[in-house]
Amino acid sequence: MVDVATLAVNSVIISALYALVAIGFTLIFGVGGVLNLSHGATITLGAFAAYYASGGIVEAGVGGAVLAAIVVPALFSAVVYKGLIERIQDQPIMVMILTLVVAIAVEQVFLVAEGTQPKSIPSLLDGTVALGGSKFQTNLLVVFALSWLIIAALFYTINNTETGKAILATSMTTKGAALVGIESDRVNLYTWVVAGALAGVAGLFLGSFQTANFAMGRGPLMLSFAIVVIGGIGSVKGSLVGAYVIGTAEVLTGAVSTRLTGLVPLLLLILVLLVKPEGLFGRELAE
Amino acid sequence: MSADATATRGLTGWLDPRRYGIRHQVGAVGLVLLAFAPYLVPTVWVRNLTIALFFAMFAMSWDVVSGYTGQISFGHAFFFAIGGYSSALLNLELGLPPVVTVPIAVVVTVVAGLLVGVPALRLRGPYFSLVTLVAPTILLNVFILFSGTFGGELGLDSPAPILSFDDLVVTLVANYYLAFALFVGILAVLLAVTRSDAGAVFTAIREDEDAVAASGLNPAKFKVFAFALSAAVGGLAGAVFVHTPVGNPNPSQLLALTVSIEVIIAAILGGMGTIVGAAVAGIFLRLFQLYLGTVEYVVPVLDTAVADVDLLLFSLVTLVLLFALPGGIVRWAVHGGGTALDNIRGRDAATDGGRDPPDRDVLDAVQERWREDVADLQARVGGGRR
Repeated sequence: MVDVATLAVNSVIISALYALVAIGFTLIFGVGGVLNLSHGATITLGAFAAYYASGGIVEAGVGGAVLAAIVVPALFSAVVYKGLIERIQDQPIMVMILTLVVAIAVEQVFLVAEGTQPKSIPSLLDGTVALGGSKFQTNLLVVFALSWLIIAALFYTINNTETGKAILATSMTTKGAALVGIESDRVNLYTWVVAGALAGVAGLFLGSFQTANFAMGRGPLMLSFAIVVIGGIGSVKGSLVGAYVIGTAEVLTGAVSTRLTGLVPLLLLILVLLVKPEGLFGRELAE
Repeated sequence: MSADATATRGLTGWLDPRRYGIRHQVGAVGLVLLAFAPYLVPTVWVRNLTIALFFAMFAMSWDVVSGYTGQISFGHAFFFAIGGYSSALLNLELGLPPVVTVPIAVVVTVVAGLLVGVPALRLRGPYFSLVTLVAPTILLNVFILFSGTFGGELGLDSPAPILSFDDLVVTLVANYYLAFALFVGILAVLLAVTRSDAGAVFTAIREDEDAVAASGLNPAKFKVFAFALSAAVGGLAGAVFVHTPVGNPNPSQLLALTVSIEVIIAAILGGMGTIVGAAVAGIFLRLFQLYLGTVEYVVPVLDTAVADVDLLLFSLVTLVLLFALPGGIVRWAVHGGGTALDNIRGRDAATDGGRDPPDRDVLDAVQERWREDVADLQARVGGGRR
């Protein structure tokens, strides 16, 4: 039943999605030096935005769902940054506490509004595709392709545009970036918006092959921790590698026992912290 | 009961400079009020006050390690759960009485705390926070994985009560006094420790760890001690909690992320590194939350009762409080409403010229170090491109 090819394909697909989940979290830490604990809640928000746009409130089809899953979380992220974080961005502990309370509030909103029943989000594409001798949902392959498309676009932006370079510079050295005239507040805002959009899309993807519910962001938040620690905190390229390590480990564990999958990333996180606390990668964002 | 208050006043009077006498009198009045509370409030609030006292103990256990040494733990629920679950399991599986299981549970919690704490305390700012955030999640996963033993998401059955009588009200009142006695005991011990030389070292570690090391003291040893003490107190409170009518060994009461974060919020609002602040803010925060759960008023626009959205409202109110009055609400309340706050680290004037930094500075000092750690990480990890 379990063959190597299927496991390999599954690992590659799920890891791409995990990278999408973790990159925004990494970006915010790299640029602002703070841990955004509402990252998981932003993922939930993306999933519900897609749900509301695809029949929950209005019927805007798959295109509308994708658009909603990008715009709503990006706006939310901007509001959280401007409204709460900007004033206290030099207080990392307060940022952690406030973003955690924001996360609880978002969860509560969806719990009160929608209850605990999981909501289904339409697939991006229906049907199945035969690959490596076994069948895969087309939706999964679309998720994989889009994830990599977004990651590639992000890397290109960071390395080749004015704003992207400003983000890169700030993540390397905030002081140095300030010295050459980069406004760190604006760069931070861009980073939060980008992270929000990435999280939202990840929420749509997650919801499209699982379901959406109020607590769905908790797992991805913990995954982000594990991924950034493995990849080196603040390194986007490291996040990509970390995501593949975690995703593969999860799929392999799942083949043995599905009940263990939740534990594996967390145990890997502890292991890496004990053995190599600086992570596997430096802080360079991209080649 | 007033003997308690007198004893505490005597104790604090002995520990602290005289100029803070008024605050101590206010604190003593607060304790006397707590001592007679069951005669002053309706029965349902006796129950709520009992819950609030346990929560205050949780908050104090956080403050003694995080508020003093500046190692911010985001997962203190780990301790409460290990204490509560150990005691409950020993009672349910082996039939041992709570008198035996509670002390064993405290030992188990300290051991677990050391297993996590000794390696974790080597880590810097953001990494320490991440490990402590993850620890309760791992524990929850283990509980779910072995749900046959730990009852998974739903938790365990109620273990044997410590105090139980035929009359429900008598039982509630008796358990209130059990919680109150434990509260006073923990308060006294933590005040004594934090106002001793060890407490001065904790504070020094928070302010400047290198200086502590330079003066020939081993900061790691003191941090581990603070962590073990905190685990013992958290485990004790958690263990006794599950043997009372107000607490059960389940994840939502002992292990949820909300438990860890509310504890931190209470300690910060009460003023970090004060113990008393954590206790006072812990009681009020919990009571406020329980009060919200009883409000039947229906919000017109949303068409939902306040009681149904209590946690949402609570988180929004906390957000506003933290944002508007970070580290200052209790002091602000002292000026505005005469709440008891004993916000002094009563060390001899010789240790630091008798100055007590305001709470804001405590949090600032901690965050300053966190930022240095991050910058340091960036430099150390940043072997990247030029």
